[in-house]
This record gives sequence, structure tokens and C-alpha cells, in this order.
Amino acid sequence: MGREGLRGPRTLAFVVSIALLVAACSSGTSSPSPSGSTAAATPTPAPLPTPNPSAIAAATAYAQSLGHIGGSVSVLATWGGSEQAQFLAMVKPFEDATGVTVNYTGTRDLPAVLTTGIASGQLPDVAGIPGPAQMIQYANAGKLQDLSTMLDFNAYKAQTPPGLVTLGTVNGKLAGVFLDVSAKGEIWYDPKVVGDLSSSAPKTWTDFQNLITQDKSKAKAPWCLSVESGAASGWPATDVVESFVLHSQGPDYYNNWWAGKVKWTDPGIKQAWQDFGQMVAASYGGANRILTANFANAGDPLFTTPPGCLFLHQASFITGLGQFASEQRLTDYNFFPFPSINSQYASSVEIAGDLFGAFHNTPQSAALMKYLVSAQAQTLFVAGGEFLSANKGVANYPNSMNQRLGSIAANSASSVFDASDQMPTAMQSEFYKGLLSYIQTPSNLDSILQHLDSIQASAYSAQ
Amino acid sequence: MTTAAAIGARARASERNWRRRLGSLPTHVVIIILLVIWLIPTIGLFVNSFRPSTAVQSSGWWTILFNPSELTLQNYSYVLSQAGMLPGFVNSLFISIPATIIPLFVAAFAAYAFSWMDFPGRNVLFVAIVGLLVVPLQTTFIPILELYASVHIDIGPIQINNLNGQFLALWLAHTGYGLPFAVYLLRNFMGGLPREVFESAAIDGASPVTAFFRLALPMSVPAIAALAIFQFLFVWNDLLVALIYIGAANPQNAPLTIVVANLVNSLGSGWWYLAAAAFIAMALPLIVFFSLQRYFVRGIVGGSVKG
Repeated sequence: MGREGLRGPRTLAFVVSIALLVAACSSGTSSPSPSGSTAAATPTPAPLPTPNPSAIAAATAYAQSLGHIGGSVSVLATWGGSEQAQFLAMVKPFEDATGVTVNYTGTRDLPAVLTTGIASGQLPDVAGIPGPAQMIQYANAGKLQDLSTMLDFNAYKAQTPPGLVTLGTVNGKLAGVFLDVSAKGEIWYDPKVVGDLSSSAPKTWTDFQNLITQDKSKAKAPWCLSVESGAASGWPATDVVESFVLHSQGPDYYNNWWAGKVKWTDPGIKQAWQDFGQMVAASYGGANRILTANFANAGDPLFTTPPGCLFLHQASFITGLGQFASEQRLTDYNFFPFPSINSQYASSVEIAGDLFGAFHNTPQSAALMKYLVSAQAQTLFVAGGEFLSANKGVANYPNSMNQRLGSIAANSASSVFDASDQMPTAMQSEFYKGLLSYIQTPSNLDSILQHLDSIQASAYSAQ
Repeated sequence: MTTAAAIGARARASERNWRRRLGSLPTHVVIIILLVIWLIPTIGLFVNSFRPSTAVQSSGWWTILFNPSELTLQNYSYVLSQAGMLPGFVNSLFISIPATIIPLFVAAFAAYAFSWMDFPGRNVLFVAIVGLLVVPLQTTFIPILELYASVHIDIGPIQINNLNGQFLALWLAHTGYGLPFAVYLLRNFMGGLPREVFESAAIDGASPVTAFFRLALPMSVPAIAALAIFQFLFVWNDLLVALIYIGAANPQNAPLTIVVANLVNSLGSGWWYLAAAAFIAMALPLIVFFSLQRYFVRGIVGGSVKG
């Protein structure tokens, strides 16, 4: 009975697996979609823009100046997919010129790998660091090398916004450098709906409110907002609150706030939460969509007909996510910087970025760090269109929008780093949670802020 | 006459058949409903692997019913064109096959000893091994990483200064993680084999080694095959253990799971390729599973009922 009964499913299974294999193998040669179907119109994954040969030549020339070294260096970071491809394209001239093999591993489980690595001593030569809080922790444990002895410190200092150099310095040693930055707090819109604002962007928050009132009928709601992001859900909302704090209270207040020296119940912080609350109340889909839609798709209603919303507050990296990725920049979407609330702080910009540190000081890792922060290598890095550079020497972005974003991120007179990323982990996660519950029940604001105060009292001393 | 009787008999028989089928109808309906519920996520994933990324992001997989022409192979062609896919597949085989065979052999020896050989402390040792089942493997990462780092082997052509990043590191780790369950399952199976067989073999002068290779091992094939499936699937699907022991040390040795996980960008875009990648990665385990399936069922039941 057993044999007879089992023949059916087994045969079926083989047919299924063989069909899978055939499907998998044939796809390389056959045309990807039947001709004449609607699928033919769907875009295939956009090939990365190729950097121009002179950029490659410049990077190669710089790498050659480091001399022939040989050997290998291991690199660990969170970049996967197209980001990984762009990183590898950046280090290719380095590998060719110095003879050093770069062994890159990408994983989004970076904290897990680094935590076990720190405890066991098995660490990569060079690694991305999850955030400033972890960098300080690793540096204090003596695990991170002093980068100022490995790379050309004076050149790095001259080419990088001072805020980022300070942020990477722990106890007088350069523990981390930023290989890429993102400008935060841009307001994104569809020029086909609200018109081209590139020369008439609202300068102040009041102008902006007037613009919203004027264009109200053009969409179902003024704002798009969604904050789901797995375990880190809520972070897009922290960015909005941070924008309000920065532009109404200024960088000093902002820096004291994330450092735990300003209470959450302080009027300046409470006002920012209330301003955020107004955005929530005016958002497409209400609390339900805000809490359940993924942040990457937050701006999708900008592009529907009729539009779901007029504006989206998000960082520069949104251009690679959700619907943005398949729309045309400038014609389908554009941005203006966060309007000033207090004119005194109009030039303040919030930025974020990926920190990199070195766990071993070898000739190979030193050469690689030198190369990675150089303007030549960074120019190659941004050529893929997904990254912005922290290096002021990078002049050639692949398009004018990235050029504008890049100059905002690297050249701002006063830039501050993402506040929630600099808070202790316990404080940060409560900040996320507090915002989620505020979106759900805005009337609880006072009790939420009091709870955050109580966390603040213990989280900073435990660090 | 005779034909009429035959027709009558056939009619009665088919009526009995029909009744029997009617009686089991509720069971079948329930089983089919359960099967459908169980399979829906997999079917959804399978359908999504053939839909263009823009469609995957904007609508559910069931919309394919109204728009079947959007089916495409572009996800598969993208995934297969990614660097590291083929080496990852080969690495996964390099990791999975020894990491399945080694623990099976060790466990078979141990199970035989635990069931048919008398030695002091047998029960205490067995309880200790079964007790290891409850130790979460994550707690072992740091000590084992340290241990591997201190390994120095220098025998002729084989020179290893640090086991981390080597295939051997994963073979040993997976052997350790797989052994408690393997010993437990095999001991129960071998313990259920008839005592008379081993007694008569001993009377005929067979040593324990002969008895193991000539009797215990062939009779345990169903259990061993079932275990092989478990162990192979565990190792093949493993991401964390490979990431920790091979991780940054030697990305050339990274298995398919690491390559597939890397299709996703740090901010999460690119997840729509995972369905296609999952089915590519799944093809081999499916073949292994279904070709060993008849042992699978027998092996699990084996050892549970004696007599």
C-alpha cells in the first residue's frame, strides 16, 4: 500500500521541482515577458548608472598613489542589493591598483554579528557601525582603531562637515567616519499636482500653511505619513518631531535634547509633538494607514489619480523606495527643504549617515580607509545614484536633484545628526513607541511625555 | 442469468463503494480545507515570484486571476544574474552534505552504544545528551568563536590558523547542534529493534562492531533517512550560524542563504526579489525531501510503537 500510495505525490514533486528548475534556468535566455502584454510595459530593474571613465581614472590614480600592497581586507556592512553593487564598484579601482582583495559581506544583522565579534575577538578589519551610540561603546571598549593615524586626517577634516568629524570622535580619537550621508526633513511633492515649486518654495512655515490651504482641494489630504518599519516602527515620525524641534528651537536646544539635558515635558518639545499631531490629523488614511503602511510606501498616494496627498516629509533616501523608485525625478517628484519656523535657524539641517570604523590597523585596512573617504572614491560611490557623500570635494552627482541634496547634506552651515539615533537604545525605542501611541491616541500626549521623562532619568546613566 | 447476477453483484458492490466514499466525505472535505489554508501562503509566494516588482508592491497576489498576462520571469532572471548566486549554491552543498553525514554517523554509533552496549554511566550520559536539546544554540556562539580562533593545525599541506571562515567550522558546529536530537531519535529507534537478533548474532560470534554494521545500521535506514532530511533542511536553510562562523571572515565561503538575504537593501527595498530567490533555494531541498519522503513517515513513527 505504501509504495502505491506514495508514487503519486513523489511524481508530482519531481514534476514541480523540475518545472522550477526549468523555469529558473530558462529565464536567463528567454524574453522576460510575453510580447504585447501589459507586463511588457513594466520596468525591469533599472541598471545602475555607470560612472564616467574619468571618475574611474581619478579613483584609480588616487589608489595607485597608495602603492602596491597585496593581501586582503575584510569589510562588513549593512549594504545589500544595489547598494552592495555600488560599494563594490567603488572599491574595484582600489583592488586593481593596490592588489588588495576586498572581502565584502553584507548583512542586515550587523548588530548581532558585531556583538558576538566584540565578545569573541573575531572581528572584520573594517565594518559599518549601527549607530553613534554603538560606536562610543565599541570605542570605549578599546575595539575601534584611531582612524586619524590610519587616514589622512587633515584632508578628511578639511573635506568633511565639522559636525560629522566631532560626531566620529570619541575621547580625542577618530573612531568613525561617514562614508555616506542622507539629508533629512525634505518636503516631497508632485509638481504635476501642486506646480513646480523649485523657485517658489515656501520659505517659512506660515507660507507653507497658506500654500496647503490654497491647494487643499487638489488632493484627499494635505499630508502623507506612514511609520511602519518592522521592529523600528515609528522612526519616520521621530524625524518629523526632530525637524520641528530643530527649526523652532535651534541646534543647541536640539543637541541638549538628545543628550538628555532637556526634558520631554519641556514646552519646546511638547510644541513639536503638537505640531506633529497636526500633521497626523491632516494625513491621508488617518491613524490606521499611518501605523500600518510601510514607510517606503508612505509617498505612494502622491502619485495616484486623484492624488491622496500633497506633501511628504522624508529623508533624501526616499527617492530609491516605494513608488518614487519608478517615477521620474523633477517631472513626477521634487522637494524643497523644511521651511523655517524661527528665521534664526533657517540654515539648520538634520543629517544621518552610515558610520564606518576599523577594528584592525593593517596596511590593507589603512589603505582602504584612506581610499574610501577620498573625494575620488566618494565620487564613484555617488555615481550609482543611491548615495550622497559627506565629502565636500564631491562635485559630480549623476543628476541635479542628487547634486542639490548632496550639497545640502555636506555644505550646510549648521548640521545636526539624527537625534533619535544618538539617544541611548532604551530612550530611542521608547521615543518610537511613544510616537506610535500618540498617533493612536493624541489626547494622551501629557502622559506619554511624562513616561519619556521617567525613561530619560535612567537611560542615560545606564549607558 | 449469469450475466444478470454479475451485473447485480457489481451494482451492489458499487453501491457499497459509493456509501463508503460518502461516509468519508466529511473527512476529505476537512482535509482539503486544511490543505488549502496550509498552502495559501506558499501559493501566494509562488505567484508573487512571477509578478513584476511594481505589481508585487501595489496589489495582492490574487489579482493575477484578473490579469494573468502580467506573469513574467524577470525576477528569476534578476536573481540568477546576481553575482554570488551560483557560488552560493555550490557553497551551500559543500556545507550541507558533510554537515548532514558527519552527525548521522556519529549519532548512529552513539545510538547503538546507548541501546545495546552496557557501560557504566550509560543512562546519565544519555540524559545529559537529551538535556542538551534545550540549550539554545545562540548561547554557544561566543565561546565557540573563541575556540575556533585558537585552533592551529599544521600538517603538511593543511595549514589552518583560524577555523573561522572555513567550511570545517560549520561542519563541526552543525554536527554539535544536530547531535542531541539525532542521538535521541536514533537511540529510540535502535532500542526498538528485536533483542533476539543481536543475541543470536552474539552467539554466532559477532562482535559489537559487526553487529552494528551488519544488523543495526541496515535495520535503521528508515530512521537515518528521516534524520538526514531534518538535518539537511536545517543546515541548508540556516542563515545565522553561517553568518556568525563564516560571516565577514571569508565571504567566498558564504552559503546561498547569505547571498539571498543580501538581495535586500539596508532600507528594505528589493524584498520583492526574495520570492523568486526563495523558490530557487527551495528547489534542492524539495527534491531531497520528496525522494526520501517514504522513509520520512516511517522513520518518525518508527521507535514510537514497539512490538
